[in-house]
Amino acid sequence: MKGIMMKTTHFSLLACLTLMLAPAMASASGDGVALRHAEITFDNETLRKGLTVFTDVCMGCHAAKYISYRNLMDYPELGLSREEVDELRGDKALMSGLITELSPEDAAESYGKTPPDLSVIARARRGGGNYLYSILTGYEADPHGKIEDGSYNIYYPGNRTAMPDPLAWMGHDESETADLEEQARTVASFLVFIGDPHQLERKAIGVWVMGFLILLTLVLWMLKREVWKDVKKH
Amino acid sequence: MIDKMMNTRLFQWVDERTDLGAIIKSQLTEYPVPKNLNYMWNFGSLALLVLVLQILTGIFLVMYYKPSAELTYGGYTVAFDSVERIMRDINFGWLIRYMHAVGASAFFVVVYMHIGRGLYYGSFKSPRELLWIIGVVILLIMQGAAFFGYLLPWGQMSFWGATVITNLFGALPVLGEYLQQVLRGGFAVGDPTLNRFFSLHYLFPLLLAAIVGGHIHALHVVHSNNPDGIDIDHEKDAIPFHPYYTVKDAFGVGVFLLGYCYFVFFNPEAWGYFIEVDNFVPANNLQTPAHIAPVWYLTPWYTILRTFENKLVGVLMMGASLAVLFVLPFLDKSTVRSSRYRPVYRQMVILFFISVVVLGYCGHSAPTATLKVVGTIATSVYFGFFLLLPFVHKFEKTRPLPGGE
Repeated sequence: MKGIMMKTTHFSLLACLTLMLAPAMASASGDGVALRHAEITFDNETLRKGLTVFTDVCMGCHAAKYISYRNLMDYPELGLSREEVDELRGDKALMSGLITELSPEDAAESYGKTPPDLSVIARARRGGGNYLYSILTGYEADPHGKIEDGSYNIYYPGNRTAMPDPLAWMGHDESETADLEEQARTVASFLVFIGDPHQLERKAIGVWVMGFLILLTLVLWMLKREVWKDVKKH
Repeated sequence: MIDKMMNTRLFQWVDERTDLGAIIKSQLTEYPVPKNLNYMWNFGSLALLVLVLQILTGIFLVMYYKPSAELTYGGYTVAFDSVERIMRDINFGWLIRYMHAVGASAFFVVVYMHIGRGLYYGSFKSPRELLWIIGVVILLIMQGAAFFGYLLPWGQMSFWGATVITNLFGALPVLGEYLQQVLRGGFAVGDPTLNRFFSLHYLFPLLLAAIVGGHIHALHVVHSNNPDGIDIDHEKDAIPFHPYYTVKDAFGVGVFLLGYCYFVFFNPEAWGYFIEVDNFVPANNLQTPAHIAPVWYLTPWYTILRTFENKLVGVLMMGASLAVLFVLPFLDKSTVRSSRYRPVYRQMVILFFISVVVLGYCGHSAPTATLKVVGTIATSVYFGFFLLLPFVHKFEKTRPLPGGE
């Protein structure tokens, strides 16, 4: 009976603490608008489409310096052929990173700041792929009319972004919605992929590691029981 | 198997020159351990395992890591670039690096469990006071090593975390400013800071290895405590470490590795708890992140620091919250060790554990008015535990110990 009483005391104490913390938790996540959900996938078709959006649109201003042209061939998830890579890189070195033609100085002059490198951008923003997808499809007219069109983004913290609507999302035709969303989804997937390009290999190896460890732990448990069976409790 | 090995001529040759046989007997095959230890006693061997893993993975990381804050293309630095190179281009570099990053958190998980077990079952009490004190030294060096290591990737949180913590030293009177400059190697956190933190991050684990040796030696002099907290009859209630506890520890290692490898292979960032999102943004001394928080294992002490408006008081209280652990064995005057037979102490120590978890939560979250109140209450509970401890034996009715002792 006493044991139960004590347990109840602890439980009610925990409940009190949880209640006290609850408002704090709510305000902690209430900072921005809920992000749109992006179907992030790493199939070859998606990643190649994403790469195309990246090189055609993003690379106008942004770089992904940790990804080299060579990587586009070497990562099996992308698996470009040498010919495709040669066409893409032009006269740039095979080992060169995906670097934009826009110089940081020119960028700072045109946009007020240097566009960030996108190699690890999906890991450097809360929400990852969902955040990137939401930003690309988040350009709207400012309801207060303060921020000029193309700089107002409902998902960007503070709403004013220096990146002008890259996919021309704002005011797009309804017939284009599916296409633009697919562009945003594929490029978001590509960026999530290059943020940690060994992630599929890692998870594939991980399955084997976990399988082995489950067996090993089971054997060790049986061994422990066997060794300990002659030890009397008291 | 050990007997067979000990009968070989090679072993005999070594034994005659080192007395290895006697060491194996006294430390393993005839080293007495209480037979009633529960699974809470597995965390010591796990801590040793993680220390070895951290040192081994660290040695390989150092082969490719470059401690330089020199700027490179895109606002990155040589240090940040070298970490990404390890993650992307070095064969299985991602595995070594994630093992090291997850290992840091795993180290604190097992060590905090180990310390919690010592608190709950009174393992810090006579004759194990010095064993406990050596353990507190290990904890402080671990926290230092983790703090130094966190600067190395040179991300935003690395940079600003180091700035905030080194700033604390500046709050100390007289020597404060000097200490702060010595730590930073200049007036602000920069390239010299990175280099000296790298040096210390290599030194501290070596210190740890040596002091852990002392910790184990001290343990083997006074022997393990047990869940009942009573002195045991070595004839009746003890079993040799090998094979009983080697096999039990091995099973514990299996269970631990299952959890560890889940994070390494499937969730290395642990939702931002092991590797913070902001640390993928390269360090920028002109842009303070919206919310600076240390990694989870340092957040309880960070909350204690933030609880006090006056910076110096905060720093001193944070120091006191750790320093008080050194005198813990002398604060507790009760002759009964284990919480099993100490109803009042049991309630106190459970409240203490809750306070540490709450402090950790508060330190991890962005500060709000509510959290400030919660953090203040938790801080009071934390210190209240130590303030009340010297008086508990005066009114606590302990339960009868088994064996009528």
